[in-house]
Amino acid sequence: MGLQRNLLNRKTLNNVVKTIWVSDKSNPSSLRRFSSLQQPELPPFDYQPVPYKGPLADQVFEKRKKYLGPSLFHYYQKPLNIVEGKMQYLFDENGRRYLDAFAGIVTVSCGHCHPEILSAIEEQNKLLQHATTIYLHHAIGDFAEGLAAKMPGNLKIVYFVNSGTEANELAMLMARLYSGNLGMIALRNAYHGGSAGTIGLTALNTWKYPIPQGEIHHVVNPNPYRGVFGSDASRYAQDVQDHIDHGTSGRVAGFISETIQGVGGAVELAPGYLKPVYEMVRKAGGVCIADEVQTGFGRTGSHYWGFQTQDVIPDIVTMAKGIGNGLPLGAVVTTPEIAQVMAQKIQFNTFGGNPVCSAGGLAVLRVLDKENRQKHCSDVGSHLIGRLKDLQQKFDLIGDVRGRGLMVGIELVTDRKEKTPAKAETAVLFEKLRELGVLVGKGGLHGNVFRIKPPMCFNKDDADFLVDALDYSMSKL
Amino acid sequence: MHKFATSLRRLNDARDEFRRRCFSQLAQRQAFIEESGGIPLIPAFNYSPPPYTGPTAEEIFRKRKEFLSPSMFCFYKKPLNVVHGKMQYLFDENGRRFLDGFGGIATVNCGHCHPDVVQAIINQTTTLQHSTILYLNHSITDFAAALAAKMPGDLKVVFFTNSGTEANELAMMIARLYTGCQDIISLRNAYHGNAAGTMGATAQSNWKFNVVQTGVHHALNPDPYRGVFGSDGEKYAKDVEDLIQFGTSGHVAGFIFEAIQGVGGIVELAPNYLPSVYNSIKKAGGLVIADEVQSGFARTGTNFWGFQNQGIVPDIVTMAKGIGNGIPLGAVVTTPEIAKVLTRRSYFNTFGGNPVCTAAGHAVLKVIEKEKLQENAHVVGSYMKERLTALKDKHEIIGDVRGRGLILGVELVTDRKLKTPAKTEILETMEMMKDLGVLVGKGGFHGNVFRITPPLCFTKEDADFLVDAMDYSMSKL
Repeated sequence: MGLQRNLLNRKTLNNVVKTIWVSDKSNPSSLRRFSSLQQPELPPFDYQPVPYKGPLADQVFEKRKKYLGPSLFHYYQKPLNIVEGKMQYLFDENGRRYLDAFAGIVTVSCGHCHPEILSAIEEQNKLLQHATTIYLHHAIGDFAEGLAAKMPGNLKIVYFVNSGTEANELAMLMARLYSGNLGMIALRNAYHGGSAGTIGLTALNTWKYPIPQGEIHHVVNPNPYRGVFGSDASRYAQDVQDHIDHGTSGRVAGFISETIQGVGGAVELAPGYLKPVYEMVRKAGGVCIADEVQTGFGRTGSHYWGFQTQDVIPDIVTMAKGIGNGLPLGAVVTTPEIAQVMAQKIQFNTFGGNPVCSAGGLAVLRVLDKENRQKHCSDVGSHLIGRLKDLQQKFDLIGDVRGRGLMVGIELVTDRKEKTPAKAETAVLFEKLRELGVLVGKGGLHGNVFRIKPPMCFNKDDADFLVDALDYSMSKL
Repeated sequence: MHKFATSLRRLNDARDEFRRRCFSQLAQRQAFIEESGGIPLIPAFNYSPPPYTGPTAEEIFRKRKEFLSPSMFCFYKKPLNVVHGKMQYLFDENGRRFLDGFGGIATVNCGHCHPDVVQAIINQTTTLQHSTILYLNHSITDFAAALAAKMPGDLKVVFFTNSGTEANELAMMIARLYTGCQDIISLRNAYHGNAAGTMGATAQSNWKFNVVQTGVHHALNPDPYRGVFGSDGEKYAKDVEDLIQFGTSGHVAGFIFEAIQGVGGIVELAPNYLPSVYNSIKKAGGLVIADEVQSGFARTGTNFWGFQNQGIVPDIVTMAKGIGNGIPLGAVVTTPEIAKVLTRRSYFNTFGGNPVCTAAGHAVLKVIEKEKLQENAHVVGSYMKERLTALKDKHEIIGDVRGRGLILGVELVTDRKLKTPAKTEILETMEMMKDLGVLVGKGGFHGNVFRITPPLCFTKEDADFLVDAMDYSMSKL
C-alpha cells in the first residue's frame, strides 16, 4: 500500500526515525505507522556558511524596536537572526542550518542565492542598475516576452511594478477604467495587498485598517474545509450573482481572486468555482483578475499558473513574490484591448522594469524551466501531501491537509467536528519545529494553519524531514 | 540657529571661491569652443565601456511595442538605447558617451554603478537576498538607524516600501488613521504617485485617470513664476486656510507637499509659504507630510532634505528614488507616537526592508558623506544655475531659471510676458542637446521645462558642457 511504498522509497539515511507497523483494530486491512521518539535530523548539505561577524539577535531586535516601529511583528518568541541563505536552507548567526519551508513567504522560488540568478543580477548591476523606460533597454522587453510566452489566450501586454500590492492596485485601476464601472468583487479570506486601495480587496480583519475602501463586495469563500457548502462550487458561485443583483447596479468593474489563498491559510478554491463566476462577472460587464502572487511560476505542480487549475483564462493576471526569487518586482499581464484603455493618460513607474530586476526575472524563468521545477513541485508535492495525509490519520489535531504542488496547508483543530482552531497548539508546534530546524509559515484568520511553501528546489528528503519533525513534535504535545 | 548660519556661510564662501575660479576658466573655455567651430565637447572621462553585443534599438523598440504598455513613452524621436552607466555618464549601444543630466529622474544620486554601492549590493545578494522581517537581519536596522540619524526632531521610526508611490500611500493612510479625518490637502501641480490614494493627491490631469479619487483637496500652487501671487508665500497659504474652512469639516488628516515639485517642472514653493500652512494644518489637527522623493538625499545642496530649506519640521517624511541609487526602495519616516497608529492592525510589506536594498541604501548614505556630495551639489549646482541665468539674458526663449543645488529647472516660453509654453522648441532643443551628448529631463504641466537632476558627482566641467550645449542648441533654433 501507499504507506509501505513511502517507507521503501525513503533514501535518507540520516533520518533515524524508527517505524513500527501496527494494524488499526477497527480496520484490520489498513496499516498505521508509529514513530518512535527519536529526533529527526536535517538532510545533509555540502556547504559551509560564511562565519558571521555582525550584530547578534538581541542587538538587532533592540534596534528594530527603536527604529522600525511597534507595529512590526516577527516570528518566534525568541526571534531568529537569519544571516545567510543557500538554496532551500537558511543559516542563523551561529551558522546553524534550517530547512526553509516558507521561502520568505513563497518568494524565493529558485532557491536562496541560486548561482544563475546571482550571476544575472551581478552582471547587470555592473552595467546599469537604473535609467527608466524613457530610454530603451533590452532587458525589460526580453523579460516581458518571456512572461507573455507563458500566458494563454491573448494575455501578452506586461506592466512592471515593484510589488504585489502595486500590481493589484494597477489591476483594479484597469478594471474600473475598462468597464467604466466601480464595484469590485473579492473573496472573503483573500489577501491582495496592504495599500489603502488593496486593503479594500483584502478580506481578513487582521489586515484591514478602518479607512474608506471604495465599492467592494466580499462574497462567500468557496472553502471546501470550512465553507458552508463544502466543495459545491455552484452554490458558492450563486453568492456572486446574488451580490451583483442586489449589491451593485447590476454592472461591476471586476472580480479578483487567488486560486489557492495564501495568507488565508492555503485554501484552494472549491473545484469548478471560477468558471461560472467568470461568466457571471463578464455578463455584468466586469473583468476577471487572477492574483498569482503566490501560486504562479509552476508552484502548483500541475500547472504553471494557479488559474489554469480551474480551467479558466482571466483578463488580467497579477504576480510578484516568486517572480524574481526575492528581487522587488511585480507585474501585471493583460490583453492589448484592456491595455489600450490605459493609454488615455500617462501611467509611469520609476523603478518598474529596471534592468537588474528584469534580468533577474528572466533568469528565474529560465532556471525554473531548465531545472524542471513545475514537475518537481508536482512530484515532491504529492509525496509531501501523501505523507501529511498519513500523519492526519495518526493525529486528531490535524483537521485538514490541502493544496497542491509545493503550496500546502495543514490546518490544526482541537475538535474535528467543530473544527475549533487549535491556536495554542499551532503556536507551540511552530516553536518546536524551529527548534528541530524547520521553518514553516503560519496563516489563516485564526493563525492555525501551517503554510508549507518552500523554495522549489525542496526535495523528497526535505519533505520527509519536515513531516518527521512534525510527527515528532506532535507526539510530544 | 547659529550653527546653521555658520555652516551656510562656510558653504557660500566655498561656492564664491569656486565661482571666482570657474568664471576665469569659463572665459578660457569659451575661447576654446570658438576655436573648435562652436560645438561644445563632452568633458574627458578615463573609461572605456565594455563592447555591447545585445539587441539594437530597433529590435528593442519593436519588442516594447509588442509586449509592453501602449502608453509607455520614450524620449527623443529616435529612442536612445542606454546600455551602460558609469558615474554621471551613460553609454548607448555604439559605446557613445552621454552626460546624464537627468539621473534616471533624480534617482541615481551617487552615480551609475558607483563601486561602493555595487559592492554592497553584490556582497549582500550573494549572502541573503530575501527573508522578510518575520526573521531578524541587521541590514534593515543598521540602515533605519542611519536614516533616522539624518532626521531632525522626533522623526526616527522607519517603514520601508518599494517605491515612492507605496511610501506616499502609507503616509496618507497613517495620517488618516492618526487623525480620524479623511481630508488631505495637496498642491495643484504636485506628483505623489499612481495608486488609488496617491493619484488623488497627484494634481496634474495628465496623470489622473477617470476613477474615483476621494478625500483630497487641491490648493493653489505657490508657484513664484506662474502663480497669481508671485513669490508672496503667505497669500498662497490663505488658500489652504480657505479650503479647510469651507471644503472640510474644519479638521483635516493632513497636508502633503514636495519642497521642489519634480514632475511639475522644478517649482520651488514660494518663500514663507510652508510655515504659514504648517500653522493652519496644525490648527486643524492635521499632519504635515514632506514628499522628499526627488528633493531628498543631499540633492538641494544647502540641506540634506528639501523641507529643511523651507524652515519646518514635518510629521511624516516620504522618500524613494535617490535613496538607493536606483534600487527599488522607498521609506516613510515618522515619530514614534504617530507610528503607533499602525499597531491597530497588521501592516506588512513582503519586499520592503529586504537585506539587499537596505544594504544599498546604507552604502548610499556613506557615499554621500564620504564624497561630500551635498557640498558638491551646492557648489556645482549654484555655479550651473548662475550660468543658466546668464543664458537667460542671451536667449529670449528662457522664461525662468529656478531650483537649487542639483535640482534645477529651465522653463521655455515663446513670449516672456504671456509666458506661453514653448512646447515645440523644447523638444527641438532637447533633440539637439542629445545629439551633442547631453541628456536632460522634461516636465511641467505643459512639458516646457527642462529638468536638470544629474547624479550628484556632477562636476563643474559637466555643468559647463551642459550649459554650452543648451546655448549652442538654442542658437540654432
